[in-house]
Amino acid sequence: MKPFKVALPGSIEQASSLQQSFDVPFIAGGTDLLARIKEYITTPEMVVDLKRIGGLGEITSTDHGVRIGALVTMNDVATNLQVREGFPALAETIGNAATPQIRNMATIGGNICQKPRCWYLRHEGYTCAKNGGSGCWAREGENEFHAIFGNQVCAMTQPSNVAPVLVAYGASIEIQSNAESLEKREVPADQFFLTPEQDPTREVALKPGEIVTAVLLPAKNRTEKWSYTEAREKQSFDWAQASVTVLYQRGGRRGDHRVVLGAVSPAPLRRADLEQIIAAGDLDADCIQALQKKIGEGANPLSQNGYKVPMLRGLMAKAIRKLNGEKKEG
Amino acid sequence: MKKRSDDSPEGVSRRHFLKGAGAAAAVVTVAKIPSVTEASQEVSDDPVIVGPGSISIRLKINGEIREVEAPPSTTLLDLLREHHAMTGTKRVCDRGSCGACTVLLDGRTIDSCSMLAIDAVGREVTTVEGIGTPENLTDLQKAFVEKDALQCGFCTPGMVVSCTALLNQNPTPDRDQIRQGIAGNICRCGTYQNIIEAVEHASRKGGK
Repeated sequence: MKPFKVALPGSIEQASSLQQSFDVPFIAGGTDLLARIKEYITTPEMVVDLKRIGGLGEITSTDHGVRIGALVTMNDVATNLQVREGFPALAETIGNAATPQIRNMATIGGNICQKPRCWYLRHEGYTCAKNGGSGCWAREGENEFHAIFGNQVCAMTQPSNVAPVLVAYGASIEIQSNAESLEKREVPADQFFLTPEQDPTREVALKPGEIVTAVLLPAKNRTEKWSYTEAREKQSFDWAQASVTVLYQRGGRRGDHRVVLGAVSPAPLRRADLEQIIAAGDLDADCIQALQKKIGEGANPLSQNGYKVPMLRGLMAKAIRKLNGEKKEG
Repeated sequence: MKKRSDDSPEGVSRRHFLKGAGAAAAVVTVAKIPSVTEASQEVSDDPVIVGPGSISIRLKINGEIREVEAPPSTTLLDLLREHHAMTGTKRVCDRGSCGACTVLLDGRTIDSCSMLAIDAVGREVTTVEGIGTPENLTDLQKAFVEKDALQCGFCTPGMVVSCTALLNQNPTPDRDQIRQGIAGNICRCGTYQNIIEAVEHASRKGGK
């Protein structure tokens, strides 16, 4: 690892100024950045350590909902009572991510800002549309774990397991910087995660100097039933190959139900067409069949990841059975 | 091919050579250097910038305050092994995926390879050296011996730290909870079954 300087700002303004002045990365939990530095994928002269900034490490209840400070560890999110009771799908997802050790170190802010796990991007020998070159190696290369939707420009998948769940709950990301023109802003989760068509070089809607300061969960939460189902190769320290988040809202056929797919596209994929199927009838075998028929629509699998389509069909069925309280794995 | 052995013909072990080399390097950098202590956690007008050269890093390790000079880019694992010669904590993958470097930070398990040592300032670090001694093993360590919970032994320090944390939080874990507790530790020999039995055995004895 190439030695680097560490800046220890005590405020968001200082951290933001340092990052902009030197064009260097922020470090919070460090679990993603340090691995990339060790691999020489990035060799910063300095990192800006956010750990000493106050006010980013608490979970608080407000009139607007629950505010999770960006420096709260994944384990502390997963075990928090307000999160477990109000947003159980989030607690479930985050409580099963990575390993116990990583969950004790990694922060919620860092989790949603982690760089993609694409093996071409994480190899110092390749450049692509994401890092100063052009094109996408995975499209014609090794693409077993890559995107099947929206993969024309770049076939990365959004690596955060939490991202689709945040989109489903209608969470917002609180962002701050030192620049007067930017100030504090709140970006809805479905606009925070960017597609390569929006900007291939960024996965999230952060401008230079901007820092994620909190994840905001809405007070208005009408979820009646929920399910999060995910497939991965290993039970521990692995990323999803595909995930399905379903929030069944109060109001039955008039409910504002949510279906968000994860790990199959560069950004979490909300599927209004599937939500309409759920709203149109009962959560029965016909509904499952209709969802399974529809879920692969629009997919454009690459040479090695066609399995993700039937995988999604299986996860979708399992998700509805879970909503109905059926324990049997499908 | 060069022999990579701890007992070289010159009588200088690899470990002692590295230790000696580290000490020599430290002498060069002992000049006036900023120190990362609890004090620098306070907000000041100018942000503190340290490195890339060595600074003084003061940590509480196994209940003892220990200070050493090291670059601020040093991971907690490297600080323990190479600057404090505490080699119980193992370096295997160095990427946070194997758990061999597990230590406790304020009682919780973390991968010491994946955090900067300076981020442990002001917190309690507990390594495997702080959990029992060869003469006075903890009940869990005795159970590892009794239940044959190790083969090559390289994952064992990390396993012992993870299982100690598990029993501290939950003195009577069931098998699933034990599996969850060691989900971040890989044993390439595949001794998981015996490790689970050792934890159950220690749990029955009410020890850790």
